[in-house]
Amino acid sequence: MNDPFVFTLLLPLVGTMLVAAFGSTSHVGARITALIVSLVTLLFASRVTLAWLGGHPYEIDVPWFSNAAIDIRFNLGLDGLSVWMFALSALLTVTAILVSWEAIKDRAALFYSMLLLLETGMLGCFAARDIILFYVFFEFTLIPLFFLIGIWGSEERRYAAIKFFLYTLAGSMLTFLGLLAIVLWVYDQTGREQMTFSIAKLVAALGEHPLPLNLQLTLFVALFAGFAIKVPLFPLHTWLPLAHVQAPTAGSVILAGILLKIGTYGFLRFSLPMLPDATVTAMPCVLVLSGAGIIYGALVALAQGDMKRLIAYSSVSHLGYCMLGIFALNKLGMQGGALQMINHGLSTGGLFAVIGMVYERYHTRQIADLGGLARRTPMLAVCMLLFTFSSIGLPGLNGFAGEFLILTGMFQRAWSDAPAIYQATWMTIAVAGVFGVVLGAWYMLWLVERVFFGPLKEPGGHAPAPAAHGHGSHDHHGHAAAAHDDHSAIHDLNFREAVALVPLVVFMFWIGLVPQTFLAPMAPELDKVEAIVAKAYAKHDWKSVAKTEDELNHRDAEDAEKKTEMKIVNVVDQLPERGGE
Amino acid sequence: MSLDAIKILTPELIVILTATLIYVLGAFLPGRHWGRVAMLGLIGAAIALYCTYEYRFWPEGAQAPLASVEIKGPIAVDLFGQYIRWLALLVGSLFVLTAQRPSSSTPAAEMVGTLLMSVAGTMLVGSARELGLLFLGLELVSIPTYVVLYLARGDRASQESTVKYFFLSILSSGVLLYGFTFLYGLTGTTDLVEIRQILLAGDDTLGAGRLFGRLALVLIFAGLGFRITAVPFHFYAPDVFQGTSNLNAGLLSVLPKIVGFTALVRLIAIAMPGYEVLAWRVAIVLAVLTMTLGNVLALWQDNVRRMLAYSSIAHAGYMLIGLAVGLAANMEDVSSVALFQGIGSTIFYLVVYGVSTAGVFAALTALGEPDKQVDLLDDLAGAGKTHPFVAGCIAVFMFSLAGLPPLAGFWGKLSLFFSALGVDAPTGGDTSDLRKWFLALAIVAALNAAIAAAYYLRIVGVMYFRSPLTTLAGEGGRGARVALTASVVLVVLMGLAPGRLQSGANKAAQSLLPAPATPQVAKLP
Repeated sequence: MNDPFVFTLLLPLVGTMLVAAFGSTSHVGARITALIVSLVTLLFASRVTLAWLGGHPYEIDVPWFSNAAIDIRFNLGLDGLSVWMFALSALLTVTAILVSWEAIKDRAALFYSMLLLLETGMLGCFAARDIILFYVFFEFTLIPLFFLIGIWGSEERRYAAIKFFLYTLAGSMLTFLGLLAIVLWVYDQTGREQMTFSIAKLVAALGEHPLPLNLQLTLFVALFAGFAIKVPLFPLHTWLPLAHVQAPTAGSVILAGILLKIGTYGFLRFSLPMLPDATVTAMPCVLVLSGAGIIYGALVALAQGDMKRLIAYSSVSHLGYCMLGIFALNKLGMQGGALQMINHGLSTGGLFAVIGMVYERYHTRQIADLGGLARRTPMLAVCMLLFTFSSIGLPGLNGFAGEFLILTGMFQRAWSDAPAIYQATWMTIAVAGVFGVVLGAWYMLWLVERVFFGPLKEPGGHAPAPAAHGHGSHDHHGHAAAAHDDHSAIHDLNFREAVALVPLVVFMFWIGLVPQTFLAPMAPELDKVEAIVAKAYAKHDWKSVAKTEDELNHRDAEDAEKKTEMKIVNVVDQLPERGGE
Repeated sequence: MSLDAIKILTPELIVILTATLIYVLGAFLPGRHWGRVAMLGLIGAAIALYCTYEYRFWPEGAQAPLASVEIKGPIAVDLFGQYIRWLALLVGSLFVLTAQRPSSSTPAAEMVGTLLMSVAGTMLVGSARELGLLFLGLELVSIPTYVVLYLARGDRASQESTVKYFFLSILSSGVLLYGFTFLYGLTGTTDLVEIRQILLAGDDTLGAGRLFGRLALVLIFAGLGFRITAVPFHFYAPDVFQGTSNLNAGLLSVLPKIVGFTALVRLIAIAMPGYEVLAWRVAIVLAVLTMTLGNVLALWQDNVRRMLAYSSIAHAGYMLIGLAVGLAANMEDVSSVALFQGIGSTIFYLVVYGVSTAGVFAALTALGEPDKQVDLLDDLAGAGKTHPFVAGCIAVFMFSLAGLPPLAGFWGKLSLFFSALGVDAPTGGDTSDLRKWFLALAIVAALNAAIAAAYYLRIVGVMYFRSPLTTLAGEGGRGARVALTASVVLVVLMGLAPGRLQSGANKAAQSLLPAPATPQVAKLP
């Protein structure tokens, strides 16, 4: 009954050893073994996913660290929040292996082992139903990515690997404390019989015994530290561009495609349902940070000369949308945020893969070195264009569905259901979100235009000049570039690369055309979360955050004055609404 | 009674007899195979340890209450003592394996025999329940250590570090003894159980003398602080570690910690009720200082052993968290989470730390050769390529020490954090002050864990992200390889299935208090 699930999680782990065994002598053995393992894992993962969609969910539930007083379980299962990320993890691992096919020859066995270990971590992280198990997988993903960046990355790889690791770890240690504190609170409130670590049970128990607001806020900050760094939310994003630029292509694909989503997933899974009051209190701040991240990421992306760095900053911007949607705290926004997690995984994963392919051909990521590649590699250009369109939210592709839902959710929140004091701010943020879409289209299309269109320009030859000219005058490009000065060897998308990209494209169209297929399974779980936060939102006292009685009394006295002010604000706020209609 | 005592101490006797045998025969047969004899001795001791006790950790529920086997006198027959003795045998055998190929200037028989002596001392401390025997055990660890330090390397650096350790160790023993005298003067007995009862009896009998108890507490903390390398008694550690061999550094970072924490638990948490308020404060301050200073100073080290010395200091700080929780939980108004107990988590952490650290030093020994060992971080550069297996193991140990899942170190940190936050669990009564302190302690510990990751990662980074600067011989001997393989297996196993070891540690902590003295079992020291 449970076999496919067990297989999905165990296969990559076993595959790690297989790769080490078959790949010890040559990189060919390593990559073939890794590909087979990841394909079979994908097969099992899709079976598990389809079974869940068909209403026959698989579940693993084994006591792990369990006795009279404590109940840590090895409990894995899917639900609406995790099902698509689970499947996407398995899919993107295949893509990551395919894009590393030619690029990784040094210590290939170790490379593919690490990639498969990473897959185990990701699958487990999304499937975990136990708080400790989640954390174990959450932290575990750091180790393989650390090696992937540090060994196979670019020039500054050591610094990037260590910065990525420490930054994430520092935040997640606090998250860990926060999660433990939640467990202890529930244990205390439910009669101190057995300590439960089951996420579902904890959420239910916290519904009956909510934490006091002060404690909630403390714990929210603790959880925020880990998840917001992982997302990364502006201004905690500084590790991301570095890690992305230095990572090998496969590392970037996985990092952007899956690992960042663990942060947003963490918010949806833990912060919102477990700490609803604190979520509502923190909402204005998080919305401002998300809005700032959208604009900041987009503006910085505009200024980049390195393709990978550009996409990395676009991730900061896009993850800002995810956070904006989630923290709009209404159905539309949260659905959009959850959908955008998948969308960004597909489109940005694809973009990093395409850039990796360009890099394999030309050994440069500098936009200035390239131009008009569509003439040489038309199919690659088509893929790039599709991923770009998806990324900027062109209707018909997946990005549109996600961004539209997010922005609708945010507009709904700002215009029809906002407390007076924040209405103006939230309206600004909503408008900034729309503006961010425009900026997104600008930097992405500009990138495509410069690299893929216009006159052909390849490194080593400034114009489409014969390659022979290039040889003498461009020795500074080094051996690798010199070998490629003869660009006649540059080929278009080959079969392997096509196989890596096509599934992503298929899903982009699928989500774009029939988003309901993907939204519907998520809806019940999202609605539950939404119901919890909506309740907290409804009873939240927007005027006073401080709770001491003295301050309250003091505020009452001032209220009369404030009311008049607010009326004015309200009148002002009415204006754009009419304009919007 | 005396026969019983001999029966109980059989494992220690076997270890000491083996050591004596090795000393005597080693004079006539100067071979290099005494490690195997020593291993036989340790295995014999393990069998004896298994047979001596009628009650054990497993299966669940098979634990006989302490009262039924109570033996009056200096030897404690409890699970706590047994836990420590098993731990001593475990890390002792790892060290004996590592010691199979000592440097050419080291007499093999004496080296191994002396090592066994300090293992016996550690075991003795585990079961000592009387001031005199406790001190004897502590010295049985220290005195062989001086010899081992001197034997390791013939050079001046080694002699300097030996002398440094010798004088400071003597001083700390003196301070500890001074503390013992106050305790004896206060209560008129050297038996820890009786001391506990007299102190529990209250102020009437003690009068103004109670003040001397505080003095005793501080002196005991200072004396044992040296053994566990708590700041500010840590100064010797980096110099001594740097100046000695990898094996000895491992020995120094594990065995003194085991005896130090065992003695602290027995003396302060159990034998000195009524002084908890002072005790937990001292422990918290020591914990914060120790882990922060250790971790921060480790960031700038280039010598592997010096870095690991600071790491060892930092880990003492983590373990002090558990001790502080145990001390605070002793007070009447704090109810504690039944399972993740302070003292239980401290001794669990001792196992996790002991195995990982013994493994690291075994790996470093394996990478070097008898007369030229690994010293600098740069020596390790590129080890990931040249010695993939050993480097992989070191990486596992580093991640475990950094507390990353799914390795043993993660569960160690989990139980420590849990115990610290468990004090925080509100149960009525005014514990808010206490809660704040322990919450702050947990946060400091969490941030420290992140700092610590920086230098552990540096070691991993050097091994995997750089190309070799020097050639590593990898001639440390088969024993070291066996030891490191065993440690890595243990670290991974403890990571995947920590349950039994952790619950064993908690049972051990529960067994510390004689049953009649505590009405509820859940209320632990």
